[in-house]
Order: sequence, then C-alpha cells, then structure tokens
Amino acid sequence: MLRASRLVLAHFWVAFVAFLGAAVLGEWQMIVRSPLSSWINNPEHYYRSVTAHGTVMGYVMPTLVAMGFGYAITELALKRPLIGLRWAWAGFGLVLAGTAMAATTVALGQASVLYTFYPPMIASPFYYLGVVLVVVGSWVWVALMAINLRAWKRANPGAAVPLAMYGNCAGAFLWAWTSVGAAAEILALILPASLGWTDTINAGLARVLFSWTLHAIVYFWLMPCYIAFYAIVPRAIGSRLYSDTMGRIAFALFLVFSMPIGIHHLFADPEVGAGFKFVHAAMTAMVSLPTLLTVFTIVASVEIVARLRGGKGAFGWVRALPWRNPMMLALTFSFLMLGLGGAGGLINMSYQMNETVHNTQWVTGHFHLIFGGAIVIMYFMIAYDLWPTLTGCKPLPAAQIKAQLWLWFVGMLVLTLPWHLVGLMGMPRRMSYYDYSDPAIAAQGALVIASAAGGFLVLVSAALFIWILVRASLPARRQAESIEPYTFSRAVHEGARVPVALNGFGLWIGMMIALTVVNYGVPIVELASLKQASVPIIPIGAR
Amino acid sequence: MDGGRLVSWRNRWFKWSVLALLAAVAVSFGVGFVWLPSAASDFSAAGAWASICRAAGVPTKWGGNNGIDVAGVASTAVVLDRSMARPGAADAIGRGATLALGCTTCHGVQGMSTSDAPNLAGQYPEVVIKQLGDFRSGRRASPIMQGLAKGLSDADIGDLAAYYGYLPKARNAPTTYADALPAIVRVGAPLRNIAPCVACHGGIDQKLGAPWLEGMPRPYLIAQLKAFQAGDRHNDSHAQMRNMARAMTADEIEAVATFYAGKASR
Repeated sequence: MLRASRLVLAHFWVAFVAFLGAAVLGEWQMIVRSPLSSWINNPEHYYRSVTAHGTVMGYVMPTLVAMGFGYAITELALKRPLIGLRWAWAGFGLVLAGTAMAATTVALGQASVLYTFYPPMIASPFYYLGVVLVVVGSWVWVALMAINLRAWKRANPGAAVPLAMYGNCAGAFLWAWTSVGAAAEILALILPASLGWTDTINAGLARVLFSWTLHAIVYFWLMPCYIAFYAIVPRAIGSRLYSDTMGRIAFALFLVFSMPIGIHHLFADPEVGAGFKFVHAAMTAMVSLPTLLTVFTIVASVEIVARLRGGKGAFGWVRALPWRNPMMLALTFSFLMLGLGGAGGLINMSYQMNETVHNTQWVTGHFHLIFGGAIVIMYFMIAYDLWPTLTGCKPLPAAQIKAQLWLWFVGMLVLTLPWHLVGLMGMPRRMSYYDYSDPAIAAQGALVIASAAGGFLVLVSAALFIWILVRASLPARRQAESIEPYTFSRAVHEGARVPVALNGFGLWIGMMIALTVVNYGVPIVELASLKQASVPIIPIGAR
Repeated sequence: MDGGRLVSWRNRWFKWSVLALLAAVAVSFGVGFVWLPSAASDFSAAGAWASICRAAGVPTKWGGNNGIDVAGVASTAVVLDRSMARPGAADAIGRGATLALGCTTCHGVQGMSTSDAPNLAGQYPEVVIKQLGDFRSGRRASPIMQGLAKGLSDADIGDLAAYYGYLPKARNAPTTYADALPAIVRVGAPLRNIAPCVACHGGIDQKLGAPWLEGMPRPYLIAQLKAFQAGDRHNDSHAQMRNMARAMTADEIEAVATFYAGKASR
C-alpha cells in the first residue's frame, strides 16, 4: 500500500464525484436544448449550467486526476515515499477551496461566463479567485513533482528516470507553463475589471492570453492518458512496452509543441495577424507527431502479446489479442475515438477548412469525443488499475468494468457523431435555444435528440463507474491477503541506455519557452500596446 | 545512461533537436509571412515589409476614420454611463418633482399617463437622461418633446430622472418566466436574429439604457416599434432596436405591445 494512498484517493474521489455532477448537468443541457423539452425560459440557467459543467470538466476533474495520479506515480515508480506530503495536502486543500468558491459563485448566478471566461463578460471576482486557487493548488503539485524527481536523481546518479515519472513530470512542467497564460489574463485583465477598478478590458489581448492556455491544457488533460498507454497498458495485458525511448520522445515532443499553437482557436479573430494564424496551424500539425509515435509504439506493444498468444499473419494477430481484458477493450475504444476525434481535429486546425465549421456544434462534438471519449476512458482505467493498491480491495469485477466501458464508448459515439453532423449543417454552438419549428433547422431536431440519447448512455456509464469504485471501497471488499506490489510496464529491451536529453527536461523546456516567445511574443506585445483595444465590460448577474 | 553534457554541439540529441526546431520555425514563418502573403495582392501591394507587417497583424490605420465621414450618422449624442443609473439624492428628487409639474398634462400626475404618452413612473434614471438628451439635441424627433427639452439644463434632466426613478413602477405585466409569455418576448426569433425582449428589458436581464416597459400604453409601444422598423426613430445606440424591429412582423409587434401594456390594453 502506498504511503500517500489517502492523498491520492482524496484527489480521485473529489475529481470523480464532481465529474458525475457535471455529467448530470451536461445531459440536462443536451435535453433542454433538444426538441425533447420545452424551453426553460431562462437562458441564464442554461449558461450557469454550462459554466459549471465546463469548469468541473476542464479544470477541476482533470487537474485532480493528474495530481492524484502524479503522486501515485512518484511513490510507485520512484519506489520511495513522497517528499512533501503535507504540502501536497495543502495543495489539495487549495483546489478544494477554489472549487467550492467557484461552484458557489456559479450556482448563485454570478458567474455565467463559461469556463473560457469570454471577456468582456465579467463575473463575480469570487469565481476567478476560485479558479486561481485551483491553479495555485496544482502549482504545488508541479513543484513537488520537480522536487521529488530531483531528490531521486541525486540519490540515483546516472540512473534512467522511470518512464511513468518522466511522462508525469512532462505533464507537470507543461501545465506550469500552460497555466501562465490564463493566470496572466485573470490577474492582469479580468480581476481588475471584476473588482471594479476599471470598466474596460482589452478583450483581444485577453483572448490571445487565454489561447496560450486553451490548447495546451488539452495536452495536460491528455498526459495521464498517455502515461497509461505507455506505463500501464502493456503490463495490464501481459505484454511488454515496444520502446521506452519512443515514449520519452513523445513526452518531450508534447512539451515542445503543445504550447505555441493556441492561436488556432482564434482563426476568426480580426485582431490577430494571418501570418501568426498560419504558423500556429503549421505547429498544430506537429503535435500529431507524438500521437502517431504513440499509436505506433502501443500497437507494436500489444502485437507482442498477440504473437506470444499464437497470433499469426499481417493482421491475423489482432484476433489473438487478450480481448477479455478490460484494459485491452479500453485501449481499443480510446484509440478509435482518438482516431475519429483527431481526424475531425485536422479540420479545426486547418486555417481554411476551419471556416466551414468555426463556432458550430462540430467543435463541441469534436472536443467531447477526444477529451470525454479518448482521454476520460483512460482516466477510468487508471482508477480501476490503481484501486486495489490504493484501497486494498479485491480485484474489481471485470464484467461490470467492461459493461461500463462499452456504455461509455457507444454513448460517446451516439453523443458526438450526430453532434458533428449538426455542426456541418450549420448549427451554432453556445446557444441555449433553437427554434426547431422553423423549417430551416427542423431537420436538425432528430440528430440533437440522438445526441441527447447518447448523453444518457454516457451518464449511466459515469454512474456505473462511481458505483464500481464505491462498492470496491466498502470494508467488506477488503482483501485479506497482502496485495501484489504495483508495477509499471517493462520495456522489451530493459536497461537500454537513455540519452541524457531524454532523461531530463532542460532541452525541451528551453525549446518550449523559446517557441512560445517566438509564436506569441509579437501578438501579445502588439495587442498590449494598442491604446484603442479596450472595450466596455459587460457585468454578468449584476442588476 | 548516456553521459556527457546536454548543452553541447557534440550531443547529437541537442544538436539535431535545436536544428530541426529552427528549420521548422524558419519554414513555417517563411510560408506564413512571405510566401502566402505574396500570393494575395491586397497583402503585397505596399511592398515586402508592409506585407510582413500585415501578416503579423500590425494595424495600418488604426484609430483614424479611414476616410469615412461619420458626422450626421451618429444616432445619439448621449453616452450611457453606469453612474447615470444610480438612484437620485433626496434634493434632486425634490427639484425633479417641481420640474415635473410641467410634464403632468401628458405623463400623468404620478408619472402614469392617461393619454397614451409613455408612463415615466419608476423609469430607470439613465433612460430618462438619454431620451431627454436626445430630444434636446434633435436626435429623437417629437414636436412637443423637442421644444420642451430645449429649455432643460443637464442638471434639470438629472433631477427629472431622479424624480421619476423614485416613483413606484407599474407592475401590471409581470415578466416572470412562463410558457404563457408570447414567444417573441420569451425567446425572440433566433433565426431572424431577434433577441427576446426579456433579455434586455427585464425578466432575464436588465441592460443599461433599456427602458422599463410594463404598463406602457399599447398605442405608444406600437408607434415606437413601427418608428424603429421604418427608421423614423433612430436614437438607439448601435441600431439595437432598429435591428430588432426591422425583422418583426405586424402581428409580433401587436403581441409585444399587448403583452407589455398588460391591463392597460384591456
């Protein structure tokens, strides 16, 4: 059992309970803007719900999962107690306090600005301060990851950092740099307006600063999922990791290319130059590299076990994969959703093609498929995989897990594919009410109902996930005999030499910062120095 | 582990990573800032440097009027300010009450009209300030009100706004959410870009400068919506009301007016 197991469990429980609540809100939103329900008469209630859903799903849940998983990895991969356990609890307390503060403000209708803030809309300062507390709490985690890595390196000079910890720290350092954009936006632009010190805001600059965070945050969400691909999946299905080095390269590339690409969210923004939009689009294409490397490496890793199980031929080995293993199922679902979502993402990131789908429901469908689908399904597996080690419970019921995974996968496809389609038909996103009685959009009604039905399956799956974890945590499910020590995947060629560049982060962090300065420096300085760029604020929930 | 220094040209990981990144940056910037702009005549017309600046998003004539003569187009001379929305002080209300004696013939003794002129009781102060300011400057046309407003100072207008804001509002068409509200009031018409009335005029939100409408005389509301629709009335900032009214049908105008007039219409 881990020394930090209570800490990790606290992170996971808060993350998953908040996740279930936000999933309920999400399904409610799907229903009230579908033809299934008569209009709720107040769009404010709808946007309040969207704000809560986005804030939990975008900030609270993934941050807590990354933090909890990171603490677990630190002890399990480095095989030593976590340094700074009290600080970790303090960081958790900050996240909890921030979540409570933001949630209360949203519930009171004082912050219906959506999780992406959208200045010049300005919410109550308590909402932003809540988000800041969540981020500051996560910075404690970043610092602890760096401290623990450093201490381990000192104690093991010359040894290769375990891949799980390497990916974990890549995620932590990526997050530290990524969150600077939104933090700067909140502290320098939004909070002064929210506190009433100024009544105008440079909305263009705010958007550019948020884009700094907005796309790289996706890769921060993705990191635990990729760590699971490399460090958990091969072991869980009885295979070996095809290449440890490839994993390190993927994590390093994420660090370099996740950051300086966020302006692809601002393709329609007249305040940003076309040249920078092109450069960010080109660099976004580069992020597909680590993903393609990962897909190749993981497919090669699972092929190993299929061949060992007697699989033959160029494709015949696929049948010999351990399909009864929930991890195999989850990996397959995750890759399928990653492929579909990634293909859609190619359209969003292309400067010209994006024009056909910009601000339509296509985009919402896209990020639900790739985040809610491909990434969150691996969060489930991380929790399932760690649960016996964390709680001392007996092995989890594989049949229930498989049912939960199937529900999630089918639900996600039924939710998001029609969602993409209505986007192609021109349905705008971020609207609370659609008049389906109008012949121009009547045909979209059935697709929106289909999405709502998919959302229901997803919600049932989320509830089943919580049920499985709760049931496993009951004292009656405690395992009498001692639990097998937790291990991560072993590489095919264990003990291979790791180049110094891939055993640390100096080079990649340097490249990340340099590329950010090159890609963001001019737009930020230019917008910040424009005197005429400020617009009046629009207080939300004020009068 | 591979020994040796990280930051060294002898370290091939360092060397090739840095060179590859520099190449990727050079190629993408070359395409984005030189090659693609050169293919578009509006980018490249003023020379290579101007073309690069334009691709970088540097505004060329920012802040100028770009040769457009804006005089005479502005719809209103009153810039709304949040300070206008504050309730008036007691002395301002007193002075306003005295000044308002001149308004009673049409707007009623307590600000409730009996002659289809708009009610002013409980009207938001910034609304009274804006409309009187627009009458005074001739941006809103009315043979009677333009003449009367000419004689008012800024202080007089502020006092009148304070007084009328102080009177109790007519509440005979409560805009609580219910399916009974006419669709145009409740949800507008999204496909025609008509926002719901309750999004600005109270109910969902009360926007600065949007008047209190409950209990307004029905003929007055119909006349104003038609005037916005035809463009005869154009003192709405950014053409907010003209854009709403233009897409409304005659039936919708009737429905809105009947709803807000409430008991007064029956």
